[in-house]
Amino acid sequence: MSPEQNGGTAAPRTLADDLRARDDSALAELLRIRPDLLSPVPNDLTQLATRAGTRASVVRAVERLDRFALQTAEAIAVAPDPCPYETLLGLLRGDPDRVEGPGDPARHVAGELPRALRTLRAQALLWGGDDRLRLVRTARELLTPSPSAPSPTGLGPTLAEATSGMSPGRLQDILANAGLGPTHDPVSALAALTDLFTDRARMAGLLDEAPPESLLMLDKLRWGPPYGSVHADRPSPPVTWLLDRALLVRSSARTVVLPREVALHLRGGRAHRDVEPVPPPLMPRREYPPETADATAAGQVLSALGTLEDLLADWESDPPSVLRSGGLGVRDLKRTAAVLDVPEPVAAFWIELAYAAGLLAPDGEADEVYAPTPAYDDWLRRPAHERWAHIVVRWLTGTRVPALVGARDAKGRALAALGQGLDRGLTADVRCRTLTLLTALAPGAAPAQHSVLARLRWEHPLRGGSAPPPGTETPPTAGASEEPGPADMRAQLAESVLHEAELLGLTGRGALASYARVLLSTEAGAGARTASEVAALEATASEASALLAPLLPEPLDHILLQADLTAVAPGPLERPLAAMLNVLADVESKGGATVYRFTPASVRRALDAGRTASDVHAFLAAHSRTPVPQPLSYLVDDVARRHGRLRVGAASSYVRCDDEALLNEIMADKRSAALRPRQLAPTVLASALPPDQLLAKLREMGYAPAAESDEGDVMITRADARRTPPRSAPDPVPDGPPVPDTALLTAAVRAIRAGDHAATAEHKPRQPGGRAPRPRSQGGEPPRTTSADTIATMQSAVLSGDAVWIGYVNADGAASQRVIAPVRVEGGFVTAYDHTADEVRTYPLHRITGAAELADN
Amino acid sequence: MNGGPLIVQSDKTLLLEVDHEQADECRRAIAPFAELERAPEHIHTYRLTPLGLWNARAAGHDAEQVVDALVAYARYPVPHALLVDVAETMARYGRLRLLKHPTHGLVLESSDRPVLEEVLRSKKVQPLVGDRVDPDTVVVHPSERGQIKQVLLKLGWPAEDLAGYVDGEAHPVTLREEDWTLRPYQQQAVENFWHGGSGVVVLPCGAGKTLVGAGAMAQAQATTLILVTNTVSARQWKSELVRRTSLTEDEIGEYSGTKKEIRPVTIATYQVVTTKRKGVYPHLELFDSRDWGLIVYDEVHLLPAPVFKFTADLQARRRLGLTATLVREDGRESDVFSLIGPKRFDAPWKEIEAQGYIAPADCVEVRVSLTDSERLAYATAETEEKYRFCATTDSKRRVTEALVRQHEGEQTLVIGQYIDQLDELGEHIGAPVIKGDTTNRQREKLFNAFREGELSTLVVSKVANFSVDLPEATVAIQVSGTFGSRQEEAQRLGRVLRPKADGHEARFYSVVARDTIDQDFAAHRQRFLAEQGYAYRIVDSHDLLTGAPESAAETGSPEAPGAPDPSGGGAGPEAE
Repeated sequence: MSPEQNGGTAAPRTLADDLRARDDSALAELLRIRPDLLSPVPNDLTQLATRAGTRASVVRAVERLDRFALQTAEAIAVAPDPCPYETLLGLLRGDPDRVEGPGDPARHVAGELPRALRTLRAQALLWGGDDRLRLVRTARELLTPSPSAPSPTGLGPTLAEATSGMSPGRLQDILANAGLGPTHDPVSALAALTDLFTDRARMAGLLDEAPPESLLMLDKLRWGPPYGSVHADRPSPPVTWLLDRALLVRSSARTVVLPREVALHLRGGRAHRDVEPVPPPLMPRREYPPETADATAAGQVLSALGTLEDLLADWESDPPSVLRSGGLGVRDLKRTAAVLDVPEPVAAFWIELAYAAGLLAPDGEADEVYAPTPAYDDWLRRPAHERWAHIVVRWLTGTRVPALVGARDAKGRALAALGQGLDRGLTADVRCRTLTLLTALAPGAAPAQHSVLARLRWEHPLRGGSAPPPGTETPPTAGASEEPGPADMRAQLAESVLHEAELLGLTGRGALASYARVLLSTEAGAGARTASEVAALEATASEASALLAPLLPEPLDHILLQADLTAVAPGPLERPLAAMLNVLADVESKGGATVYRFTPASVRRALDAGRTASDVHAFLAAHSRTPVPQPLSYLVDDVARRHGRLRVGAASSYVRCDDEALLNEIMADKRSAALRPRQLAPTVLASALPPDQLLAKLREMGYAPAAESDEGDVMITRADARRTPPRSAPDPVPDGPPVPDTALLTAAVRAIRAGDHAATAEHKPRQPGGRAPRPRSQGGEPPRTTSADTIATMQSAVLSGDAVWIGYVNADGAASQRVIAPVRVEGGFVTAYDHTADEVRTYPLHRITGAAELADN
Repeated sequence: MNGGPLIVQSDKTLLLEVDHEQADECRRAIAPFAELERAPEHIHTYRLTPLGLWNARAAGHDAEQVVDALVAYARYPVPHALLVDVAETMARYGRLRLLKHPTHGLVLESSDRPVLEEVLRSKKVQPLVGDRVDPDTVVVHPSERGQIKQVLLKLGWPAEDLAGYVDGEAHPVTLREEDWTLRPYQQQAVENFWHGGSGVVVLPCGAGKTLVGAGAMAQAQATTLILVTNTVSARQWKSELVRRTSLTEDEIGEYSGTKKEIRPVTIATYQVVTTKRKGVYPHLELFDSRDWGLIVYDEVHLLPAPVFKFTADLQARRRLGLTATLVREDGRESDVFSLIGPKRFDAPWKEIEAQGYIAPADCVEVRVSLTDSERLAYATAETEEKYRFCATTDSKRRVTEALVRQHEGEQTLVIGQYIDQLDELGEHIGAPVIKGDTTNRQREKLFNAFREGELSTLVVSKVANFSVDLPEATVAIQVSGTFGSRQEEAQRLGRVLRPKADGHEARFYSVVARDTIDQDFAAHRQRFLAEQGYAYRIVDSHDLLTGAPESAAETGSPEAPGAPDPSGGGAGPEAE
């Protein structure tokens, strides 16, 4: 255990004291496992202890506990504070006489408990000597059951908590019902009851008298949740029997709760139904000879590298565009899956892997597309095992989860491959941890998936999904067992890790390959984040890849040519050879070997790429183990014979002349260099100049060329008289505004009058009883009244049909005064005839600053 | 990596390296479940198909054997997904079984209830079945035995037909093995067939498929209906049966356009059974006229669609299909599987050739350069006329004549598609022409004269594609064909593959117009044979006409630097 704690003369009184007593290495360990305590570096131990007690930090620490440490913490939380070691042991193991046969995990509790306590102490969640174990207050609050957050233990409040507020008389009644003598005060009454409930023998006696229905009821609540609902006024007789003895206590009008002491008695003292002191063992599903696993995995390495190359080769010629919201479109994913001949989720994996390994990226152009990066070319040049090491390191340290592609985020949007929202902080940890677990198995043994998942769940029961960043108010206990979210996330991650490891050739048929073992043997793997850690991981990866190299087939330098115009590469080919063959022939089948088929089109492709027939013959002869079949040579010659017989080019203009000598003269003339002429035939010259310029230049040179139409006729040119399309003459623009007509004038006058009316109208004095200040109206100020008054004024105006005078602020914030005759007031709007504007308008009430009746005149 | 001869590709093809020391062993191990797709000189390609795997199941192999064979011979690790897929596919066969129930008659029984539920939900299955006898059994209308097998195969749950066969009317037949015996592979084919009940035997042309039929009849000892492609072929079957078995002329009937005899052994042509008058097939009575114990289908790959329909109603009779290739240009291989039966025997051409039962052959493609005027005419021809035009050009005729002259003294067949072309050729060469309107009597007469050696050259149309037995033909010159038909090419090569008395090799020329659609079709036609290991040499007609023909191989690829003598299946030109 931790001798340094007990070494002190006095027991520590606070966590800070406890920390003070620890040696430097223990403190360093604490800061290592809870790095959030370190930023910023605390001034002293008191500050460290305070920070270690903050809710966010505690939540984070609790989430990282394994199942048994968590169960221990939960047990301490339901135990009296401080809790002696023996009490804790009892809560976890149960009463000694209840421990069952050798299969009962409770047997291991005593052995494992010191480890769990050590873990909790190291995390600074627990302090105090073994006789006075105390959880950090925040941790206790988090883990103690409350009605809103029932504990995973399924235990209810203590008797004292449950009966708080109960009348002393009722307590005495209960005492009497339970067969205890009366006491002086409620405190001693509770103590007597608690004594009874915690005394197994007496309690058993009490329960023996219980009606069977009551026992059935207790049994239902035994493992929690401890709350049950009952009839508000008339509980059934068995419930009444229990209520009368405080074996159940009302927690509200309709619910009853099982006090913790009673539940513990019924459970034989155990806080947890299933205590799990030891991690579940990893079960091998099947054992293969280690060579088989290695060979299968190595085969998969090759096919993984091949798939990545296929992917990037496809994208370099046909790059998919980046969605506006980022990521790869579903259609492009489908197309790529078809090209790679894999299901879409697997295609998403390869795409994400290439992205994570820096082999492809968005190009950042205006119409953004995904394309291979220059790093891809470097990667391609490396030998196969190094290429593998590179992608494996990126995969182990990556946090993007390809398995999420196609799932929906919180807002219901589909997550796109290469898009946002695929990062899960946990991923790297789970990847390393899952694979590290496999190292525990014998070489060649493939684990049963469920046992891997069970083990991972045991190691981190709480920490699962996109763990909320520390500091958010998420009670960690909520995610413990009932809520599927985070736990499922971890299971999903682990499942995809096993699948992806197989795809990457880290495992073969589920068993960890021997070379991958090296990769995971060091601590470097576990959650490598910093540059130095990644560098260390890279070093181990290259070690692993050195072990992998002999398992990979040597690249071949030859192919087998056959008379049916196919070529078979019975293994991976050297890169230049493969590159040339890919141009010269079509791939028919891929895998360990590659089958190529020569077709006229494929041979022509090679000729188009600049190879000559003799290049191709030499290439085939050099790389074929067997004589080049005659039909193949014939095919090459036949295609070459026809290749390039027709030539296509572009010219802007031509010069045609029946007199060859004249054209030769032009060709020979120095001045015609500007024409850039090319003699296509004795009677035809081509030029890159447009026809009009060519004409002009030739004329300058003293020739008399004529332009020719598309049909070959001579074009007749003469100076054109230019015309516009039909246009109308401009309208005159007179000076000053147009003269108003009568209608406009009348309307203007009316408007002015109305405005005047509004500004100068006499207003009625305030209604009696109105406490609001009189509207200041005389100075032309708009009236100001409270909104209640405004509405009242409006409503009475509606009834009376009178006009009122209002102050109004329009949508632009400009204030004005208006005289209106309200017609209707509803829904926050006043519909009124506006005298000022001379029309019916609608005003939002909240824009009306005040209203006043017009003075009678 | 264990250095085995087999490379298992993830696309379910298997590449077998022929020159590997374990190659034969491996071939025997994978042959039951993998279809040989291509057999060129170095690497043979097999393919795993659901049909092939179910064939293997039908023959009593299980997934474990298949996986073991793949893993044992594979050079590289076998993709795990492929092994899983093999196991899953094979597990689908036999989940449903057609059985004879003592009280309910024909029933479909399942060992896997969800599968039965799934297929019974299919709209296509519903009309074929009756009451549910118990949760695992459903009655099948006896007349729908064929249909339900077809439908279930399409649904991916092929039914195992264990309902047995009727014995049919007994009729004694024995083989008269006096101066000959069944060859080992024929024996094997008969045994495999009989053991399996029904199915298809695949043998190369000229490998003696008729005798496999006769052997099957001797096993069945029952009345037999034989369906063949045409009347000439029917006559040949008859004479062969009379010669090789205890059957007499009177016991064998011919049911064709001219004769309508129904005897214990009846040979009918596809044409007559599929003749339709006023919307009905008047000759369907043939199938019911006797209680047939065995039905033999010659040239299964040509089985016309209506015959499939009739066959669906004949599921209680034993059925033997004979063919040189299961390649069907219409892609109805699955109907052959479900209605006639799984493949029971298959032998690669080259293997039979190696055993000396068919003659080795040298296949030569002669490329004819068209004259300028012909090229111009070809370029302006209507699309649908293009093939006909380039296939029948004068240049080709001249080359053909030259070839015939070169092989003077040898038994030569000139085979073509277009009658006027053949008539013209016949006139120039001075050889008789056999075509569709030649009477059967005349045909028999000419074929006999050819067999006896009185005639050395025959010009034939596609009537002679099949089942015409001309053992002494050593040279075949193909001038035109049915576009790109692969099986036609194989059949035509088959005409010259009968082993020769003096053991010398056969020669097969395909005359092709260069740079035309003819060349494209030729490439397609040759694929099947090229995949069977017949390497075509390509020769320029120019070299052929000017240079000595015997040096054709050397001059064939003058530009190829360092390209040595092409290994044309051991068929070097110096054999002549």
